[in-house]
Amino acid sequence: MKRVAKPVFFIIAALIIALAVTSIFGVTTQKGDITTTRIKGISDIRWGIDIKGGVEATFQPAEGVDATPEQLESAKSVIETRMVSSNITDYELYADESSNRIIVRFPWKEETTNYDPYEAIEEISATATLTFRPGNEYESVDYTDDGTPVMKTPTGATAETVLLDGSMIESAQAGVINEDGSTQYVVSLKFNSEGAEKFKEATTTYLNQTISIWMDDVMLSYPTVNSVISDGSAQITGNFTAEEATALAAKINAGALPFSLETVNAGSISPTLGANSLYAMGIAAVVALIFIALFMIIVYRMPGFIAVIALLGQLAITIVAVSGYFPVFNSFTMTLPGIAGMILSIGMGVDANIITAERIKEELRKGKSVDSSINAGTKNSLSAIIDGNMTVVIVAVILILVFGPFNMLSFIFGLSTTGSIYAFGYTLLVGVISNFIMGIGAARLMLKSISGFKIFRNPKLYGGAKS
Amino acid sequence: MIEKKLDFFGKRKIFFGISIAIIVIGIIFNCIFGINLDIQFSGGSMISYTYNGDVNESELKSLVQEITPDNQVSFTISKNLAGNNDKGEGHYFTIQFPGTSAISAEVQSTISQELESKYPDNNFEVSEFTSVDPTMGTKFFVKCLVAVAIACVLMVIYVTFRFKKIGGMSAGVMGLVALLHDMVIVYFVFVIFRMDIDSNFIAVILMILGYSLNDTIVIYDRIRENKAKMGPRADLVDVYNLSMTQCIRRTIFTSITTLAAITSVYVVCFIYNITSIQSFALPMMFGVVSGCYSSICIATPLWVIWQLKKKNKASEKK
Repeated sequence: MKRVAKPVFFIIAALIIALAVTSIFGVTTQKGDITTTRIKGISDIRWGIDIKGGVEATFQPAEGVDATPEQLESAKSVIETRMVSSNITDYELYADESSNRIIVRFPWKEETTNYDPYEAIEEISATATLTFRPGNEYESVDYTDDGTPVMKTPTGATAETVLLDGSMIESAQAGVINEDGSTQYVVSLKFNSEGAEKFKEATTTYLNQTISIWMDDVMLSYPTVNSVISDGSAQITGNFTAEEATALAAKINAGALPFSLETVNAGSISPTLGANSLYAMGIAAVVALIFIALFMIIVYRMPGFIAVIALLGQLAITIVAVSGYFPVFNSFTMTLPGIAGMILSIGMGVDANIITAERIKEELRKGKSVDSSINAGTKNSLSAIIDGNMTVVIVAVILILVFGPFNMLSFIFGLSTTGSIYAFGYTLLVGVISNFIMGIGAARLMLKSISGFKIFRNPKLYGGAKS
Repeated sequence: MIEKKLDFFGKRKIFFGISIAIIVIGIIFNCIFGINLDIQFSGGSMISYTYNGDVNESELKSLVQEITPDNQVSFTISKNLAGNNDKGEGHYFTIQFPGTSAISAEVQSTISQELESKYPDNNFEVSEFTSVDPTMGTKFFVKCLVAVAIACVLMVIYVTFRFKKIGGMSAGVMGLVALLHDMVIVYFVFVIFRMDIDSNFIAVILMILGYSLNDTIVIYDRIRENKAKMGPRADLVDVYNLSMTQCIRRTIFTSITTLAAITSVYVVCFIYNITSIQSFALPMMFGVVSGCYSSICIATPLWVIWQLKKKNKASEKK
């Protein structure tokens, strides 16, 4: 048989162990006080709200109003603004036009002591109050993860006077104007008759001064009044990108939405409950791993030992696929069913090794040598492994498609209400793929390499009779 | 080559008998207990509180009952066997409001306030809360069933296509019979353990579809290989028994490792009272056993019977 070079076993084993260690613990470098994450470990995984604790809610316009896509987008931008202003960066937010619904999932704020789901949901879904105020004085400024400043809480003159509110706006729209040959993104405002009147007054009083636009407690924009506007339509210019202009328009529109949001589905989990669950699943994973490792080594000896190394590699790849490994890749949102899927694929992952090891044993019993048994065994078992794994792939893909946030059946049934099983499909799929890489690829190379050593050529090590 | 060959085909009637008996028992249980849809599908609300120390359970129930006289509430009180960590979460008190639309914010906060004022020393705290709109729940349920149906169809197509050489259609259909068998078993686990049908049920069903067919396929693969080796004149029952004998260790061992993995999840979740995973792990344990059994004792013997009938018909025509 074509023998694989002897050092291959050690190279692959070392690589697997290195991958396992780095993917579990991560790699950070310390420079002075700043710790930089080079490689993400388990602690950098983004946990779902069933582990971290948090709130999940589905909203729809109250009283059966059918919102236009733009209105829905506006309503979504309200929730977005509130998430950012309460310093929650780790939220998931979807607007589903086909079913007229908005789905949000977010973790509890760190300072929360009272995990009252209704209060939290109320807070984010309340109708937005949009106000125009003179000046742009604010109390505090927060920075989001990407460094955008968020100005909060009006003070001084800005707090005292409200010039206009959201009900006086007819619409806000992002647009493009051409000025001196250069293209500029703008937000065009249209006021109703009351608003036009008030806006005329405001622009007269505060000509060449700043007027700020606020949603709840957050300042959205603070344009300078360039001229008195009496016809009820104004343009906010600035160095907007197309996205910024669209986002600002959506937020201003939210102040004038003709409907309030009603909670259709809601759920919450307290952080302590979630943390307990994570700890418990960790124990379950370790127990499963130890049992399977012992089982494989006792039953299959050498191929079993190699299967355990491969299994470690499979687990490492799964963790890598979840955490993202390098800081530039986002972490997948991991939930309890996701971890269950991971543990399950540890159990199923050794299947490829079991099939191969049984085949090798069979060949040995026919009286073949260790080399040709390994060769025949690995060759004959391949089709069974591939065909068998395909069914799990089909299942995993269906789970992802059905329970994922955007899925193949959403045009009939709308978006999914539970996101946690999606992660189960994901870890299952990753488990099968990494099983192909490790259980078939790496394990076979290791087996063929290690059988090159004289001391490891005793058929007994492979389940055969004494030589 | 001397190889021990076990007579699997000869025991087929015992195998079928066992399955039929289990199904009959399951149906009887189903008639007695009935089955409930979880609020995920039926709509309704659920609040779960954690508390520590001892509380008179019936007093607790009547207190909540009084606040919500209109609703058909049901209660569960469970204990965290892992004991108390920092906050001392010893017990869980779960209130379910099935069938109705979401309970109002007022009712929820009244319950919380009442519990806090009546039992100030027991640290009542909301640990989990779910509320689902009935129409959305129903839609979600239908969607799940469609997903299961799609999965079944895809599986049969895959097997039919891959095992053309051994009568693909029959292999696919008999694989499906085994899948239905496993789905029914998983369903009965929900019935017998009085668990509500929730999205975990669908996840387990889909998972078992993949797992059970995986087992079946490995056996089919062996039959395909042995058939090619032994030639067209070989006795089908012989081919089957030989293939089975060769596969049986693998099928059982893979089931053992999978079962070990899922059992450790179940045991730990039972100790820590993680109900959301328990209702996933327990039926999965039974599903793995059933998947293994149905591949060996249902799918493949049925396939042999089908093939034999076909042969008989062909020879009669001659």
